[in-house]
Amino acid sequence: MASETVDSCSSHDPLLDIDSSDSSSGVKSDEYLELQFRVFRLAFLLTIFSVGIAGFFWGIHVSASLLIGALSGIFYFRLLARGVGRLGTSSKIVGKVQLLVPVLLVLVSSRFPQLDLIPALLGFLLYKPALIIQFLSMP
Amino acid sequence: MDSITTAASVVAAGLAVGLGAIGPGIGQGSAAQGAVEGIARQPEAEGKIRGTLLLSFAFMESLTIYGLVVALVLLFANPFAG
Repeated sequence: MASETVDSCSSHDPLLDIDSSDSSSGVKSDEYLELQFRVFRLAFLLTIFSVGIAGFFWGIHVSASLLIGALSGIFYFRLLARGVGRLGTSSKIVGKVQLLVPVLLVLVSSRFPQLDLIPALLGFLLYKPALIIQFLSMP
Repeated sequence: MDSITTAASVVAAGLAVGLGAIGPGIGQGSAAQGAVEGIARQPEAEGKIRGTLLLSFAFMESLTIYGLVVALVLLFANPFAG
């Protein structure tokens, strides 16, 4: 009697079915990774577009600052995505390590005369249009 | 840069970061709470919940970054420094 109960639980309860749980978890993480990939792709496209425009109108100096800022913004978003991905599984809080990226960007661009501060900051914020486009295109 | 400008810049930098982090901090806490509760109730929607949480965090944290940038500009690239 007891063994029948255990058998019926293990065959029908999805919470106890380890294989199906693992496969659905893979699907979930795939969905999350796909969202990140779409945002990164949009951010890279916006970076290439704006670096080209800046290089054409304001020269290579501004363009390089914009490129460094944009790459910093993408790196910041990568760190934020990693923190959100860990939330609830291996960590109970979202880390604040990613906030060091704009700090370092401002410090580097104020120390080096080859970099301009305003284009670097504008480049850092280039991940936001990508996020807004992604948010608007979500079903 | 004279001493009054320096003192005012340091105080303003502290206020910009401190006051600018209050709202996003509260918002991020409640968003994370809602997301974790949602994932616990509906594990099959984990991917969508995490994706929405990531976008919300990015939008909220940008407010903190604005304050941080203003503070860092006041400290390291002060436009009012003579």
